[in-house]
Amino acid sequence: MDNEVELKLQAFLDGELPEAEAREVVRTLAQDQQAVLLLAELRNTRQALVGFEKVVTLPESREFFWSKIQREISRLDAPARPVEKPSLLASWRRFLVPAGAVAAMLTVVFIAIGPFGAGTLAQTDVASDDSGAFTYRDENAQTTLVWVSYPAENEVADSPAGPTLE
Amino acid sequence: MNIAALRAVETMNGKDHSSAEEPGLVKAAQKGDMAAFEELVARHRDKIYARAFSMMRNEEEAIDLSQEAWVKGWQRLAQFQGESSFGTWMTRIVINLCLDQLRKQKRQRTESIEAMDEESGGVERQMPVVTVNPTAGLERAELRQRIDKALGQLSHEHRTVLILHEFEEMEYKQIAKTMECSIGTVMSRLFYARRKMAALLADMKKNQ
Repeated sequence: MDNEVELKLQAFLDGELPEAEAREVVRTLAQDQQAVLLLAELRNTRQALVGFEKVVTLPESREFFWSKIQREISRLDAPARPVEKPSLLASWRRFLVPAGAVAAMLTVVFIAIGPFGAGTLAQTDVASDDSGAFTYRDENAQTTLVWVSYPAENEVADSPAGPTLE
Repeated sequence: MNIAALRAVETMNGKDHSSAEEPGLVKAAQKGDMAAFEELVARHRDKIYARAFSMMRNEEEAIDLSQEAWVKGWQRLAQFQGESSFGTWMTRIVINLCLDQLRKQKRQRTESIEAMDEESGGVERQMPVVTVNPTAGLERAELRQRIDKALGQLSHEHRTVLILHEFEEMEYKQIAKTMECSIGTVMSRLFYARRKMAALLADMKKNQ
């Protein structure tokens, strides 16, 4: 007996077959003893189950079980904590701190390159006193020249002890 | 207004719900009457727990899931329109929660080769047909015990399809929708589950 016939037998038992297929199953049952036995087994099992489910009871008291449900419902139903409106000081602080930082930066830049600065600096930086390096910057030509003398020509290099590595 | 009607009004006003009719309790709960909902919980808690336990086969999980079902029931009360009984509606909620949990567990579980054979189908076709009714002559309590023991030996998928069809009386189409599988899969699983149950019950009868 193939699987399709077996499943049709089951569907026939469960009343899930359309009429035409149900008639076909009836014809099969008239000719096939194995089909009859299988249908009987399926029917016995179904009858054994219906109405004989084991009776179980919840192993917690009514009050205890309800208290857990009630607590969870209250937690889910509780309104969301309102968003605290920031104080006036906090609002101003949020604005002033970054504004102050920007103002300080602008001041430094202004001093460095503004009318009080060196303008086009011939020498903008000394990398290190010990190394005797000098940096020349030509703004017009957008060129930076770093002059490194070796040995270093400065007080440290010229001292009797010479430069020391630490 | 006669005394019976007066008592009914008093009951619905939250004084005592224990003798209230269920439709009235549901309506009151839908309006936010927690005491009415508590009475509904008291009346149906065993049934909901039993369904969860039959599917999960674990007491702690069944308690947690039935509790979760009640909380969901409260949240969705407005959706209950009375097409089925309140108990049936709640049972559907707990079944869906159990199925979600079983799917989560299946993703984490390593299947045994035997279980995979059962799932893929075909094993049941090698089982000899049980010709003797294995439940004949048994006391009801003994039969319940044997059925429960046999159900415990099925895989979750096979047990679920049997529970939904035999105990919840769902049609193939409904089961397929609930279990998120095809009707063909429902039929195959049900066929296997029934044949396996018959073999297990026959074994128990032989060994008695």
